[in-house]
Amino acid sequence: MSLLSAIFLLPLLAALVVLCIPRNYKFVIRLVTLGATVASMLLALTLFAKYNAAPVENGFKFVERHAWVSVSALKLDIGWHLGVDGINLGLIVMGAIVAFAAACVSREIKRLEKEYYTLLLVMTGGILGAFASLNLFFFYFFHELALVPTFIMIGVWGHGENRNYATFKITIYLSLGALIALAGLIALYIQSGANTFDIVDLTKAVKARPLPLAAQSLIFPLLLFGFGILVSLWPFHTWAPLGYGAAPTATAMLHAGVLKKFGLYGLLRVGIPLMPDGAAAWLEILAFLCLGNIVYCGLVAMRQKDLNLLIGNSSVAHMGFIFLGIASLSLVGVTGAVVVMVAHGFLAALTFGLSGALREKTGTLEMEKLGGLLRQIPFLGAALVMAMLAGCGLPGFANFVGEAMVLFGSWRAFPLVTTLATWGALIIGAVYMLRAVRNILHGPEKSEWAALKDASAWAKVPFVLLLAALLLLGVWPRLLTDKIQPSVATILTMANAKTADKAPRPSDVKKAVGEAKQRAVQPR
Amino acid sequence: MEPTSSIAGTTALLVLLLPLLAAIGITLFWKKDEEFSAQLSIGAIALGFALSLGIFAFTGDKAIEANFNWLSVGDLKVSFGLLLDPLSKLMLLVVTGVGLMIHIYSRGYLQGDRSYSRYFASLSLFTFSMLGIVLANNLFMMFVFWELVGVSSYLLIGFWFEKNSAADAAKKAFLTNRIGDFGFILGIILTWLALGSVNFAELAHALEGKAFPFASLTEPLGKIAGGTQWWIVHPNVLATLVGLLLFMGAMGKSAQFPLHVWLPDAMEGPTPVSALIHAATMVAAGVFMLCRIFFLLEIPGSHALEFIAWIGGGTALLAAVMALQQNDIKRILAYSTLSQLGYMVMAVGLHSPRSAMFHLTTHAAFKALLFLGAGSVIFACHHEQNIWKMGGLRDAMPRTWWTFRWGTLALCGVWPFAGFFSKDAILASALEHNNIPLFVLGVFIAGLTTFYMSRLVLVAFCGNARSEEASHAHESPGVMTWPLVVLAVPTLLAGAVGIDAYIGKLFPSEHPLHDGGFLENLFAPFNHNIFAASFGLLAVVAGYQIASALYVNTDRDRLPEKIGVLAKMARDRFYFDELYEWFISVTQETLARVADWVDRWIIAGLLVRGTHGTTELFGRALRLVQTGSLQTYAFLFAAGVVLVLAWQLLLQSPAH
Repeated sequence: MSLLSAIFLLPLLAALVVLCIPRNYKFVIRLVTLGATVASMLLALTLFAKYNAAPVENGFKFVERHAWVSVSALKLDIGWHLGVDGINLGLIVMGAIVAFAAACVSREIKRLEKEYYTLLLVMTGGILGAFASLNLFFFYFFHELALVPTFIMIGVWGHGENRNYATFKITIYLSLGALIALAGLIALYIQSGANTFDIVDLTKAVKARPLPLAAQSLIFPLLLFGFGILVSLWPFHTWAPLGYGAAPTATAMLHAGVLKKFGLYGLLRVGIPLMPDGAAAWLEILAFLCLGNIVYCGLVAMRQKDLNLLIGNSSVAHMGFIFLGIASLSLVGVTGAVVVMVAHGFLAALTFGLSGALREKTGTLEMEKLGGLLRQIPFLGAALVMAMLAGCGLPGFANFVGEAMVLFGSWRAFPLVTTLATWGALIIGAVYMLRAVRNILHGPEKSEWAALKDASAWAKVPFVLLLAALLLLGVWPRLLTDKIQPSVATILTMANAKTADKAPRPSDVKKAVGEAKQRAVQPR
Repeated sequence: MEPTSSIAGTTALLVLLLPLLAAIGITLFWKKDEEFSAQLSIGAIALGFALSLGIFAFTGDKAIEANFNWLSVGDLKVSFGLLLDPLSKLMLLVVTGVGLMIHIYSRGYLQGDRSYSRYFASLSLFTFSMLGIVLANNLFMMFVFWELVGVSSYLLIGFWFEKNSAADAAKKAFLTNRIGDFGFILGIILTWLALGSVNFAELAHALEGKAFPFASLTEPLGKIAGGTQWWIVHPNVLATLVGLLLFMGAMGKSAQFPLHVWLPDAMEGPTPVSALIHAATMVAAGVFMLCRIFFLLEIPGSHALEFIAWIGGGTALLAAVMALQQNDIKRILAYSTLSQLGYMVMAVGLHSPRSAMFHLTTHAAFKALLFLGAGSVIFACHHEQNIWKMGGLRDAMPRTWWTFRWGTLALCGVWPFAGFFSKDAILASALEHNNIPLFVLGVFIAGLTTFYMSRLVLVAFCGNARSEEASHAHESPGVMTWPLVVLAVPTLLAGAVGIDAYIGKLFPSEHPLHDGGFLENLFAPFNHNIFAASFGLLAVVAGYQIASALYVNTDRDRLPEKIGVLAKMARDRFYFDELYEWFISVTQETLARVADWVDRWIIAGLLVRGTHGTTELFGRALRLVQTGSLQTYAFLFAAGVVLVLAWQLLLQSPAH
């Protein structure tokens, strides 16, 4: 087991171990979970420390590659291929840290612990595996491995009256999104003619012979909207606030923080570089959809009365910056987008973790009922203030660096959208974030919360960890950007080397479709 | 880089980081030890002040730059960079010097507060952020610290967050500042796009010899306008636009009209905070920033400065009128701060950043003195802030009385107090630019200033005590009065020590200033421009005459009888708060309501529930062969794969 594979195989193995532990040994179950996630986190940090920006062939380091299934008659070739570059490195490290934090806050679960922790570990392994995989088959497989536990966890351990509806909605939405993306990926496999699911080989093949225009303009939207649904791209976002509102704390942290980034990662890794012409026609539209996320969902967040719904909507809004950065196809913008992906992972985990702790203590997240809590719970309160400030883009936190880079990088390509996005980032975000602080923490103390106790020393661990990560990357962004930049540059070289300089015209498409068909019947 | 300069750079870095370390140390380790927290915070800024004096003494007016690579992606190169030139060195002294006095004063004022340590941690965080603005050598870094200053101000205004009014004021201050920052960051982005850098020196270099530096923005701006209109294409318009966007940042921080509404509310914070942040330093950051980027504002063809001058003059007038009818001692001073900031902004607009910085410096000293004096009064009167419930304090609080009087004389602009010289410099620059309307406005505001300050002094300090608290008032402890005495020194002397000549080296003008020593400087305004000096003094005399006619030995305000409805409007701040509330509720709040409704009923409602319904039907159909949602899921999954494969096969089958 190499370093990279150990990071995600450890939690999966731990899941098997937990399955073998009798259900009464709750302490042991928790210990195994914490141990596995701590180990996985430490390994991920080691990976981060060992990673250097020296250029290598294909751009991937810590590569692990084995043949697995190869059936020539079916033109099927699926191999085990792992590797990291600047883009997934940060995501893996962030995912591992968030997974540990999620395991920490899982103390709130008081029934069916064995099943819960098994699913949590499977989800963790799945997420990290998806980011580490360089083969589309495993990339997709691991994502599904993480997605299915999400649904079950919301359904079984979720909160609130809306739980069943939320479970149903999130399942339908995300399955549909995953399905559309799968359709795109299979189409890509067939159309590329390279006979491989391997991302590196596919990239090489496409570099040598770009995909026909018709294929690109059919497949790219499939990936864009398939992945887009998974990332709550407007207007396919309504599952997110509802689902996160009902989800157990750890599930919300892992999904909103880490798993959601899968779609963005896929778009950046596969969609943009392999189908530059397909993308060209859609990026302008994507930029306008971003406004749906940033401005529209920000406005919706302003109206929320429940903290979790507010955070959920704000999390949807933050996705807009990542989409905008990617759509800009500029080095600064895309690098910024990747920074936001990592930063938002920490932030989403932090905010959902804090709101979970708050709900556990007060039994409610309705902001009207809360108020004046900062005196009673100084630690949780201060952490929430910091999280909210990070969420509205305060310098010093990693989110600011990423969002600023996105805005700097996107203005030339989309001046109007970026200007409105800046409004969303600086003002709309601040309005609802400060409103939450005002209503929950500030104001006169209320007698019903007089007996509230602050978090214990152990309960502080995950929050301190997540805050430290946000601050470290905010103060020292080059830790990430120096690693991300070369990898993004590689992708952008492909994305900007269009086969045709303009968006496809109908006549071109017709011609291209003909060519594609001809090529398909010719023996290769 | 010379050895001396690198030592200066390291020292400056130390000055910057000391308060940060104090803030972190207090928050993490010494929160329980209140006394030590205060000492740590005071020690950090005291050492900073000593080091700043050292930098000033050893480097004089030399410019030194130190860079640390902070972020470098593509064309965006941002360094954590420090720039030491006359502008930043002067500001260093102002921030650490005035700050030190206010830190010491706070030890007395906040005595017994249950969040004593948190107060000093926040104050140190503020000092760090403010020094960051002062030392930044590029626009990006300045924006970073700009935001940090905003958040420290938020934390300090909301220091007593249990009070609804304080919590609301903190939120309002932050959000209003954010509106300014929105323009500021757009301005920075546009400057970076057009000139390729954010570093001040590189920007100045990039401007050299370029007739239309912002011409490359024509096309993207045309996109926004929906076609390239003449008013977008015109290079003068572009330069003006960028200048005004950058100015928006100053509008927020320096509370210029129309973003002035947050500053009076910010008085909800503890009084030393009002003195440090909302009088002496943070609100001056906007003026400082305008001086720092002055070369971007005075691009030939740009009309930004004219606009800035009138915004400044307008704010100065508006705030002075509003100050006439306030009864809260801190609010009077707050409106006076607004008004004086308006003067400074007007000076920048009159192509005279030199006099703006001059006034900023003297104002920092005497306004801090006035606020601390007001704090001493409030402390003595058991947190009574209404001047009509004071009276007769001159005998009870002798030290506060004479220092407050000095501060008032300086603010009104009485020779030889510091305020006279700096205000005179601004009035003179209006004359030099032949801007008679703004000169008249400036003189008129000087009269108003004297009027409302005389009203404050006559009502609060003279006459008889008008309340129980005031009759029992006695002088504040030494830890609070000694800072007043120390601040009284620059209040008297700062005008003639040559600050304007020092800053003038950075902004060469047609009328070069020379520093002729203290005595010559003392009479320089009369030799330099006798009109400005005499009109300024005349306004003071007139203002005092009217005020003394109305307010000597009185226990009610007789001004409303004289000026009628204007008094009521001034008292109600010309209804700006109500207007903005209404505006926000019809725009942003309405949009939010609409978005929420659409989200609830259209997107999640019709579309999704529609899909939900359809899917449920589909699901029921599937339930004939399958049970449970997971299997449905698996089936959907498989069905999808089959569909795609089928589609692909169809695509592949030969069409001919």
